[in-house]
Amino acid sequence: MKFIKIINKKYRQGLGIAAFMSVIGVFISCDPALSHYEFDLPETGSIADATPPTANFSATQSSIDYRIYNFSNLSVSATTYLWDFGDGNTSSSLDGVNTYPGEGTFTVTLTASDALGVESTFSMTIEIVEPEAPAAIVPFIKEASFEDNSPGSEDCGSGNMDGRDCWRISGGRIFGITSSPVRTGSQGAKFDAGSDRVAYQALTVTPNTDYIVTVYYTIKTSPVGSAMRLAILGNAISNASEAEDAIIASITGDNQDDANEYLPLVLSFNSGATDTIAIWIDSNNVAESRIDDVSIILAE
Amino acid sequence: MKNSYLNFEHSSSCLLRTLKLTLTKTVQFRAFMIAALVLISGSFVSCGDNFLDPAPSSAISADDFYTTEGELLNAVINMYDGIQGVNALDDSDSNANHAIQVEFYITEMRSDNTRTKSSEGEAAQFENYTLRPTNGIVYDYYRSFYDVLKRANIVLANIDVASEANKAKIEGEAKFIRAYAHFNLVRLFGDIPMADRVIGIADTDVQFTRTPKAQVYELIIDDLNAAIASLDNTYVNRASKAAAQATLAKVYLTLGTNYTEAQVLCEAVINSGFALEPNFNDVFYNENNNEVIFSIGFLSNPASDSQSFSAEWLNSVGRSSGVNYVTNEAAAALDANGGNRAAYSYRIDPAQPTQKQVAKYFPNGENGGATGVTFNSNPRAAGNDWIVLRLSDVLLMHVEAIMAGGASTSVQAALNSFQKVRNRAGLTDVVTSITKKDLLDERRVELAFENHRLFDLIRFNAAQDVLSAFSAANGYSFTSTDLLLPIPQREINLSQGMLTQNPGY
Repeated sequence: MKFIKIINKKYRQGLGIAAFMSVIGVFISCDPALSHYEFDLPETGSIADATPPTANFSATQSSIDYRIYNFSNLSVSATTYLWDFGDGNTSSSLDGVNTYPGEGTFTVTLTASDALGVESTFSMTIEIVEPEAPAAIVPFIKEASFEDNSPGSEDCGSGNMDGRDCWRISGGRIFGITSSPVRTGSQGAKFDAGSDRVAYQALTVTPNTDYIVTVYYTIKTSPVGSAMRLAILGNAISNASEAEDAIIASITGDNQDDANEYLPLVLSFNSGATDTIAIWIDSNNVAESRIDDVSIILAE
Repeated sequence: MKNSYLNFEHSSSCLLRTLKLTLTKTVQFRAFMIAALVLISGSFVSCGDNFLDPAPSSAISADDFYTTEGELLNAVINMYDGIQGVNALDDSDSNANHAIQVEFYITEMRSDNTRTKSSEGEAAQFENYTLRPTNGIVYDYYRSFYDVLKRANIVLANIDVASEANKAKIEGEAKFIRAYAHFNLVRLFGDIPMADRVIGIADTDVQFTRTPKAQVYELIIDDLNAAIASLDNTYVNRASKAAAQATLAKVYLTLGTNYTEAQVLCEAVINSGFALEPNFNDVFYNENNNEVIFSIGFLSNPASDSQSFSAEWLNSVGRSSGVNYVTNEAAAALDANGGNRAAYSYRIDPAQPTQKQVAKYFPNGENGGATGVTFNSNPRAAGNDWIVLRLSDVLLMHVEAIMAGGASTSVQAALNSFQKVRNRAGLTDVVTSITKKDLLDERRVELAFENHRLFDLIRFNAAQDVLSAFSAANGYSFTSTDLLLPIPQREINLSQGMLTQNPGY
């Protein structure tokens, strides 16, 4: 019993010493200068950044103001971001938005980094242009005055162009050429009485745009009841028989007062949902009729 | 069959080796003869076609079910059944596909139009832009629409049993549905696995490879053109030529290409005999009215053909405490620009006057009385059809097509279409010019709570501007990557790393 007590006492003493030592030990190990880790080689036990960041973004022009660009951050595995918008402005927010001073070319750079300091950069060049309403096409009418070898007629065939090659349509009988009376130049188009003569030419236009077509006509004084028709077809056709169904606008002229005086026939139309229209001119072929100088302009 | 035959032979030769080792030499030859005999007779049996793959005689097998056009028409109706989804009232299994019935969560509640009433649970992840890839509703929609794609592809795979007279029509119908499902998925998820045929369980390459958007759109355009060429306008609850034309127009507007074609398509629909309902409210409560181009049909009875969203949008009438509640921003826009549409689009929640509810699609047309929660019919079994496409959407798309990406238009044809929509709303002041913002605002109030707003914002390049401001004002955490949904985590897990996640998740 006594023996046990002695041991117990010794044990308690030992415990006290051990506690004392450990307190000192704690103090020593808390001193960074004495840390035994300092003798380890750098990078020991560390692993490489297995998921390094990848910077990426997309840019969209704002619908509100052409100078404002929205940048969508598509970076992967990154935590902090630095945007350089290329005009001196920067940002550290996740998504970028910048108002540029005006037109110009700017290089936008995004630097994405993760918590280990690994960085990735991505750059994109954006060009800021004030969007203009695209200018509407003013179509060019070939052989507009029915002159031989006039500009553009080389597209309508080869060899000697006789002033009407750009006006042909299969299934329709082409008009004749007249030299008197004419309004300008030396030739006009002649629509003989009793004969189904037609003129057809497809034109490229801007959709949904107002145009004005003008043609000058004259009809012999008799027989009465004759009329010239100017029509616009909503699409190109491949045979004259399709013309009637394709008409989107038309106007007729029936003035037979003077066989030598050319009068204007003016037709306004909107091109609608198409980029190809066609001019169609025919006559009810009661009396011999003539036309000259076809033109098309944009309506203001 | 060949494989199983080889396996059989292999195990027999193993048996032979075992016999050789264990039997004594004297009986070895006899044993060998027996084994050889067993092997030979076994070979004869396994050469029969159906030995290991017998055709079941008491049940129908999918492989050889479709033999007549009548059976194929079941597969056609089955596509619409897929879009309908399951009403939780009829089947409360949360793994069931709810399809169109949960579409409002992933479209309208991600826009500035609606939110949950209580901002709780995974439903609130949509409104405050904290969506997780584990969100069950996103997964629900994803698997629902791949299921719809499968149903459409089954029709196409068995198209040869159709009669020559009806073949093109059935094919066009299935292709329309395939395009409709792909179009929804590609706008919501970006690059997606493309289902251009029935995807088998072993086709993991197809299941988990994200096809670039441009390629998915090519298939969508091909499918819609096929549908336009073969369909007519007989149905409203099923695919029609006009539905395909309107969808193709929207595809072109979304891609920002072919504006003239989009305009021609819109004009074709506008001139197909549809007409605006004189009273805006009737659009939603006068089923299959003249304005509706394509809708998903529902019936209040049986419950398996009914829908639950009408009840979910009310105050604790459905399974939720109230979702798709109207934001103050949407209510303000309706008050300012809606004309008489405002009163038909939202109302103050009678049970909780600080909150606002959608007034379109009240269950079976019943508004719940003075308390907003009392009904004669079961509100959770609502029969209201879900309108996917209607004429005013097409009229406004017509304006968009004419604008052709520009900032404004004053073309008369555009003004006419725009004016028609506004006149019906009682806003008869003459419009002489329409800006892009005017058009976006008009679409918001005309088509509020019909799952268009998010797609409109994205298509108009306005999503980041508008939703950043909306998010900041409400303390939500919108970032630009929230414009695409996360690919469901379960799909990514199943793909074992093949399927990549969208940025930001």
